[in-house]
Amino acid sequence: METSAAKLVVQNLRKSFRSQRSEGSIQVFEGISFAVQPSEFISLVGPSGCGKTTFLRILDGLIPHDDGEILLDGKTIIKPGPDKGFVFQDSSLLPWRTVMDNIILGLELQGAGKREARKKAERYIALVGLAGFEHHYPHELSGGMQQRVNLARALIVDPQVLLMDEPFASLDAQTREIMQAELLKMWNQTKKTVIFVTHQIEEALYLADRVVVFSARPASIREIVKVGIPRPRSLSVKRSKEFLDLADHVWGIIQEEVLKSMGREREEGVL
Amino acid sequence: MKAVAKKEPLVPAWLRSSRMIGACSVIVGIAIWQLAYEGLARTHYYEAYAIHHFLASPLQVIQTFGELYRSGELLRHSYFSFLEFVYGFSLAIVVGIPIGFMMAAQKKINYYLDPWVSCIYATPTVALAPIIMVWFGLGIFPNSLVVFLGAVFPILLNTYTGIKSVRENLVDVVRAFGGSPLQLFFKVMIPDATPAIIAGLRLAVGRAVISVVVAELFGAEAGLGFMVYFYSQRFLPGPVFVGIAVLVVFGILSFMALEKVQGWLSPWYTYQLRREVHGMEME
Repeated sequence: METSAAKLVVQNLRKSFRSQRSEGSIQVFEGISFAVQPSEFISLVGPSGCGKTTFLRILDGLIPHDDGEILLDGKTIIKPGPDKGFVFQDSSLLPWRTVMDNIILGLELQGAGKREARKKAERYIALVGLAGFEHHYPHELSGGMQQRVNLARALIVDPQVLLMDEPFASLDAQTREIMQAELLKMWNQTKKTVIFVTHQIEEALYLADRVVVFSARPASIREIVKVGIPRPRSLSVKRSKEFLDLADHVWGIIQEEVLKSMGREREEGVL
Repeated sequence: MKAVAKKEPLVPAWLRSSRMIGACSVIVGIAIWQLAYEGLARTHYYEAYAIHHFLASPLQVIQTFGELYRSGELLRHSYFSFLEFVYGFSLAIVVGIPIGFMMAAQKKINYYLDPWVSCIYATPTVALAPIIMVWFGLGIFPNSLVVFLGAVFPILLNTYTGIKSVRENLVDVVRAFGGSPLQLFFKVMIPDATPAIIAGLRLAVGRAVISVVVAELFGAEAGLGFMVYFYSQRFLPGPVFVGIAVLVVFGILSFMALEKVQGWLSPWYTYQLRREVHGMEME
């Protein structure tokens, strides 16, 4: 793969945590390398507890890594900042701020004036379909609407890459489907580079150009699955043969990994 | 099907609200007190045991209130107590909130101060009041100091807990956008800790009112606590109950005022609390 034109390059990333139960450390992942092209949509799946979220937080610079390098537009990522937009798993909206003021938070933290920021926010409120809810407080919104705010808040700072951490995990099945379709629509309009962590294989495949499959801990990349389904994708592609075959394939890998890790935990006496 | 005649409810709706029921309960209680007193006054015990030196009826209390108010005595005492409360409570806020912040923000400061805070907090203010009188004499200043000691710890400790329990995910949001520590403090820590701080203030109000009375019992030349003590020594229950009633009303009003402040500063909190308590789901 051509890495020089890539938007985001991860080279040989390694991370371990100090173990709380015993001396020594727990290897979270090791030797993670891949490159993401501009405007590419990457999904990241793997068995639960494999360190997907940790990986994403490292990409954002929220937590440090031990070894390896992350390059965004050729520059090393060392700390969080507005060049990356992070969409949190729980919406993490500030409960004392209205929809409008939650969305402009990122701009405000960069020193933008409130009036100017609010004007800019109107476009993003419309983009995520929240027009008319500007002055509502988070507790007045449904889970799906809260995640729309979460998304708009990340998009408004115009990040180079959008990092999404299981943003639809807590939504009910119907809302999740709708949000997936809308996310694709928004992605099509904004052409952001996206890294989307999920534990749902179907979700990963539906959204992504490529799906990165992590192995069980210590995680490494098992496979990068290319999703050749043409866009725009309607929700009905989820029932096409091509899609189901891909899902089967990814399922197979993850099942293998889950069984492997269960076997190991049994040996270690955890289970 | 038999037609069921709709009966008019015995008690109209406006009388069935929780507030009305509470008010009625208090009124009935006072009425019983009045009737019991009247009943007692018609027996021979009243004279034999000089009941009027020990008890006063609500009507007598109201009458005494009028007399003390007109003579200016009540206002003078209330003024002194109020000043002690305001000085002591303000000082407790000015000292308690910043120290609480610092202890939560800096582990080292916490290591140094925590044992002191624990010790002084555990010391009953009642036990400190006499020695403070010995050091500083009688007057508003030493009494305010007692009020300060009574009120500062709930404020300090609640501020500490409030800052310590600021939600990690909200901190992450500010960090993810590259916010500075100062922005983190003002945009997340303070607003998220506000409900806890106000809860501390509400606890402190109660303790401050108690401290006002305690300080004045040990030594004062004026004040509601002093008034209560003075008249009970002279077996005049009327003014004693007037003093107590004024303290009660003051305590309740400050408590309610802080509740309003809470609703005004953190309207989101009321909702969150309700959801946590009742497990209410968003629709």
